[in-house]
Amino acid sequence: MSEIKRRDFLKVLGLSGAGASLAGCTQEQGHKLIPYLVRPEEIIPGIPNWYASVCRECPAGCGTHVKVREGRPIKVEGNPDHPVNAGRLCARGQASLQGTYNPDRITGPLFRFEGELQPISWDDAEAMLTERLNSLMAAGDENRLFLFTDSSVNSLDRLFDTWMDAIGSTNRVIYESFDVEPLREANRLTFGQAEIPRYDFDGADLVLSFGAGFLETWISPVQYTRLFSRSQSFRDGHKGRFIHVGPRLSLTGTNADEWVQAAPGSAMLLALAMTRVLVAAGHAGDRAGAIRPLVEPFTSERVAESTGVDVETIERVALEFAEAPTSLALPPGVEMADRNATATHVAVNLLNYAAGNVGRTVRFGPNVMRRRSASIDRLTEAVAAMSSGGVDIALIHGNDPVHTLPSAMGFADALESVGLVVAFASYLDETAAAADLILPDHTPLESWGDQQPEVGVFGLMQPTINPLYDTRQVGDVLISVASNIGGAVAGRFQWPDYQTYLRDEWRAVHRDFAPREDFEEFWRGAVSRGGVWRDVGTQQVTLNRAVSGVDFDEPTLYGDDTTPFALLTYPSQNLYDGRGANRPWLQELPDPVTKAVWNSWVELHPDTAEQLGVETGDMLQVTSPQGSVNAPAFVYWGIRPDTVAIPIGQGHASYGRYAQGVGVSPLALLPGASDAASGSHAWLSTRVSLSLVERGNHLVTTQGSHDDLDREIAQIVPFAAAAEAEELAQEEIRQHPDALVETSEDADPKSPYRWGMAIDLSSCVGCSACVTACYAENNLPIVGEELIGQGREMSWLRLQSFYKHVDEGGHGDEHGGEAQPEALHNGNGDSSALHVVHQPMMCQHCGNAPCEPVCPVYATYHSPEGLNVQVYNRCVGTRYCSNNCPYKARRFEWFDYEFPYPLNLQLNPDVTVREKGVMEKCTFCVQRISAAKNTANVDGRDVADGEAMPACAQTCPAEAIVFGNLRDPTSRVSQAARSGRAYHVLSELNTRPAITYLKEVARESGEA
Amino acid sequence: MASVAPPARTPFARVSRDIIGALWAPEWRYRAVMGVLVVILSWAGFAWVYQIKTGMGTAGISHPVMWGVYITNFVFWVGIAHSGTLISAILYLTRSGWRTTINRAAEAMTIFAVMTAGLFPLIHLGRIWYFYFLAPYPNQRFLWPNFRSPLIWDFFAISTYFTISLLFWYSGLIPDMATIRDRMKGVTGRMARFKEKVYGALSLGWAGSDSQWKNYRRMYLYMAAIATPLVLSVHSVVSWDFAMAIVPGWHSTIFAPYFVAGAIFSGIAMVITLSVPFRWALGLEDYINEYHYDNMAKLMLLTSLIVGYAYIAEYFMAWYSGDAMEWESFRWRAVGAYSGPFWIMMTCNVLIPLLCFARRIRRSIMSMFIISIFVNIGMWYERFVIIVTSLAHEYEPGVWGLYTPTWVELSITAGSFAWFLFWFMIFAKTLPAISITEVKESMAEGYWKPGDKKEDS
Repeated sequence: MSEIKRRDFLKVLGLSGAGASLAGCTQEQGHKLIPYLVRPEEIIPGIPNWYASVCRECPAGCGTHVKVREGRPIKVEGNPDHPVNAGRLCARGQASLQGTYNPDRITGPLFRFEGELQPISWDDAEAMLTERLNSLMAAGDENRLFLFTDSSVNSLDRLFDTWMDAIGSTNRVIYESFDVEPLREANRLTFGQAEIPRYDFDGADLVLSFGAGFLETWISPVQYTRLFSRSQSFRDGHKGRFIHVGPRLSLTGTNADEWVQAAPGSAMLLALAMTRVLVAAGHAGDRAGAIRPLVEPFTSERVAESTGVDVETIERVALEFAEAPTSLALPPGVEMADRNATATHVAVNLLNYAAGNVGRTVRFGPNVMRRRSASIDRLTEAVAAMSSGGVDIALIHGNDPVHTLPSAMGFADALESVGLVVAFASYLDETAAAADLILPDHTPLESWGDQQPEVGVFGLMQPTINPLYDTRQVGDVLISVASNIGGAVAGRFQWPDYQTYLRDEWRAVHRDFAPREDFEEFWRGAVSRGGVWRDVGTQQVTLNRAVSGVDFDEPTLYGDDTTPFALLTYPSQNLYDGRGANRPWLQELPDPVTKAVWNSWVELHPDTAEQLGVETGDMLQVTSPQGSVNAPAFVYWGIRPDTVAIPIGQGHASYGRYAQGVGVSPLALLPGASDAASGSHAWLSTRVSLSLVERGNHLVTTQGSHDDLDREIAQIVPFAAAAEAEELAQEEIRQHPDALVETSEDADPKSPYRWGMAIDLSSCVGCSACVTACYAENNLPIVGEELIGQGREMSWLRLQSFYKHVDEGGHGDEHGGEAQPEALHNGNGDSSALHVVHQPMMCQHCGNAPCEPVCPVYATYHSPEGLNVQVYNRCVGTRYCSNNCPYKARRFEWFDYEFPYPLNLQLNPDVTVREKGVMEKCTFCVQRISAAKNTANVDGRDVADGEAMPACAQTCPAEAIVFGNLRDPTSRVSQAARSGRAYHVLSELNTRPAITYLKEVARESGEA
Repeated sequence: MASVAPPARTPFARVSRDIIGALWAPEWRYRAVMGVLVVILSWAGFAWVYQIKTGMGTAGISHPVMWGVYITNFVFWVGIAHSGTLISAILYLTRSGWRTTINRAAEAMTIFAVMTAGLFPLIHLGRIWYFYFLAPYPNQRFLWPNFRSPLIWDFFAISTYFTISLLFWYSGLIPDMATIRDRMKGVTGRMARFKEKVYGALSLGWAGSDSQWKNYRRMYLYMAAIATPLVLSVHSVVSWDFAMAIVPGWHSTIFAPYFVAGAIFSGIAMVITLSVPFRWALGLEDYINEYHYDNMAKLMLLTSLIVGYAYIAEYFMAWYSGDAMEWESFRWRAVGAYSGPFWIMMTCNVLIPLLCFARRIRRSIMSMFIISIFVNIGMWYERFVIIVTSLAHEYEPGVWGLYTPTWVELSITAGSFAWFLFWFMIFAKTLPAISITEVKESMAEGYWKPGDKKEDS
């Protein structure tokens, strides 16, 4: 008989042990881990690769670094070298991952057969398109082909032009929902430059905005936020002043030191009146002569009458603007673009010109690059052509006109009369849903491509993942169709694929930038850096004669006595024109102003609400001459009583599970009016009436009270007090450069580190990019509107805003904790004197943490490096820690949340995906700290300042968050923690937080 | 079964007959009640399984109110558990004769209330499958529970209390079980043999000899002495679950005495609530009568006054301390979203018990029954108010929130009552519901006899 040998015994033991542990570990099906048999050279499992690319979530063209783990992009971060965004990224940029990993992507070409979209092969699809094009060309009807694209300037754009030219159609319609054509036209009229200049916020001591949402969506928000916070936050004893003029406090407006509550559509008159005051006071120097005749009729008295702003304010602001060392006036942007938008932009140009800003803070030369977007007239023509059966083929790429154009224009109906509608869409948006043939494009993360956001900046994109589905880059399709057509058309498309075409296009850039360098070398360098760029000099401009012909008519709004409120539709910071609506991170991200999620709303003033007997959450019907929509009310003191506002971006009839049926689109209310001079869409063009439909809580918001009841959670000080305190603090730092802050003690004495953070509230603009970055980095689940309504959002980091008064003593106001919220909500308070303090709030990593002693199982404890650590495996879920956390920074896994395929591919392998019943919270991105320590250990040194950086600090466009070692007196965080504005939230509880907040600073009129 | 209760020839024999006679013959009313209880229990069991499977999100608790009805129930049931030991131990030590007829039921109530209360810390765990992490068991990773956490103190306090209460109750039962064993000797049938064996085993060879009585009395006295401090300690520790936290509305030194008084208050109320139908159903009207209710009412009135004082003292301290957050918490408690529960609590716990100042009401069993039900409701709401309003309205106004229980929580709450009553019903039919020994002692000492309503209580 055979005896068991020792070796066999061990084998059996090992096998059964492994089997038992496998069976014990997982309730779900086993996952296979397949090692690389032949490892690709550049991939080391566990070590991320970073690829440079360009963010394509909006036209700004920020440079990105995409973190790829084992072939999967898991995080997008800003490219630190890129001139547009300097390493920072907004929430939408962070969420670009959810574009690629969207579970509702179109997985292959589709063709509408018997009314249903059916899968079709790429060969058949291209053959069909080729055939239709051939017959079009044979009949000489080339102009019956329309191509709709966005306005980006890049190689693809040139390919579109070449292709349309080769086919012989002139009907390329470049359409951008939030175009800046009034600005371009105004610049042509004022300065003879049909360009979009650079705005140097960082050089402006006084910023005067007439409404542009430049911190949210306008032109290049990440860049503007960074530059804005450089001059407008309190730094080295200086702080600029920001005055917001307009009917509503947008997120941008909430960062203002002063709000001038001007009637909707009055920006032009105010800018002209201010220019007049400025010229009359002799501040325009030798420019006065040319400007005076233009602005002469616009006396402050006359303007005060129709704008709701008193003479005193007009003159004071004008003189402040003139007397500031440097200043910058900003135009109305998209949401305030009315039917006289160009004239308003001209008026702002005049103000800038009179104050001598043109060439200093408004610089032509390094212009923003955009193709000119089609006017409303051109679009109306296109719609008419389509409706009348004059279009055989409509190709649509890069936008969703059915959703983003006013319904009144009838784009959707017109598409029905088109012979073949081809959508190069990644998702079934409204336009794709109306298409006959869908040829799904790669997402930007899967694509080769480029983008020229500014003169002198050439961004380059590379694929970061193999295409997930059977998709094809639009460039490849066009090239392939062209070669199928053959003949002269094929002759112009000699490239085998789009990638080759792109490289060829870059030969021009190569000649321009480094003609002597080998092209391959140059190309490789450009790919790895994410493009090439250089500084562009300022071009001097002078006042153009054409400006005297500008008609400064007061804009009018459609509507009559039955529609008492001006309707302000504004781009949603999170969703842009609606393209973000299918990214669950962006739906889950509270709107920075209202803190509402997964919905649309109607903002109305407390007085208006009182008249109508409406409270926040009641369902309202908003009716304009064009139509009506139902949306819940949001009572907001930051809007004029004669105005109501609805964000743009929701109300998708299609576009996937996360977007469909969420909220409403205010475009149903707009007449599709245009600005007379530029032809651009006039968003502010109609009046509406409101009526109550149903009472109830129809709006979910994440913030309880916006009044901190003088608990000094968000602190704000007057400029003078801040400057004084800062001087003392700096003196102290000079005398004791090696002193450490007290909270540096709260770690193991032997540890070289006590990790800490400093958040400058005067820098923070509330954009919430940090929140989405945290979702991306830490595998936070999406819970949806209903659960957020129950307080179950999983956000480790919340961006809260408090409405505060500033008094002389440097504290919050003293009129009692109870009166203030009432005053805020029924409008009795003086809302123009309120300041909004945006405050990121997360686990404070207290040195004396109240959560730690109460945990019965040591699931939360203090690490030797001062972190408050949560051990998921040990947590049994008593939730005592959360009860005892005064900051309420902890979040509990109420359910097992799903990451529907392929969203699960985005999960960060360095962070546990938590199961139900576990408490969790901000970890200071401990995985990133560990990675930095590993690198430092290999080099045999300590972690350098700035080497370890949590995702929130990394992405913050305002550079408000500083992270580092509190035991290193020279670290930025140690320096910041010793600032004169430093405070700890709820410090009276002796929690000794590792996060130091620096107080918000308000600079009032006349303070310098 | 008539043979079990032969005609009593002496008053002492009558006591045995009355009390033991109540044990047998479960009738249809009993079976029907048990049936209803089992249905409720099964439904609650289903709700619990559903909660475990789906996640704690099926309960209404949420951010920031992480504790809700479950912890309310926990504190409520621990409170109920207090009167038993109080009546048996403290009143025994103070030689309060009126306790003899209610102490057995009160002790049983203690045991079952602790058994009910003990479930809630488990029910409310996010990951109940790791409940043993809370116990200090040796393991190779040297992981111990955190002895600084009040939840661990709770674990020890309640398990100690349960152990002592159980032993105390059991020792009181020994002579009575021997009585039943002896009764079974004359009865024929397999069931009688089985009972004889079981009660015989449980009576540990009790023969009623002098030396046994002597040792027994001494042991019982010592047990009472050991149990007495526990009455004070257990609910003090439970109160520290709250008082040790820094939540405004919780963080207060008054909590331990306040909770102990509240626990005794609610415990007495529950004894009254249960004993009224119980004496009627078992035909023990002579044994528990106006005399006993009068005394219990006085105890209830005393504790009610202490609790009322504590409520006022809390408000005074919140105001006097000048702590804006503390004051805001208390202000909101009275006028905010949960003012309903707050005023229910005030009415039921402070105002209604004042009726007990009237002798006529104290000696009216129906009035006492109704008042005791109000007190039970009020004490449940007291815990709800303390837990929920404090958490809903903490330091950070930006994250204030509200809480409403869901059907899962309400089902499990209903289930906890069914669970408690289920055990109590079993007790009523298997063990002598009144201490035969002690009643006979009272009679022998001439202190009291069944049917005596003792006007001069």
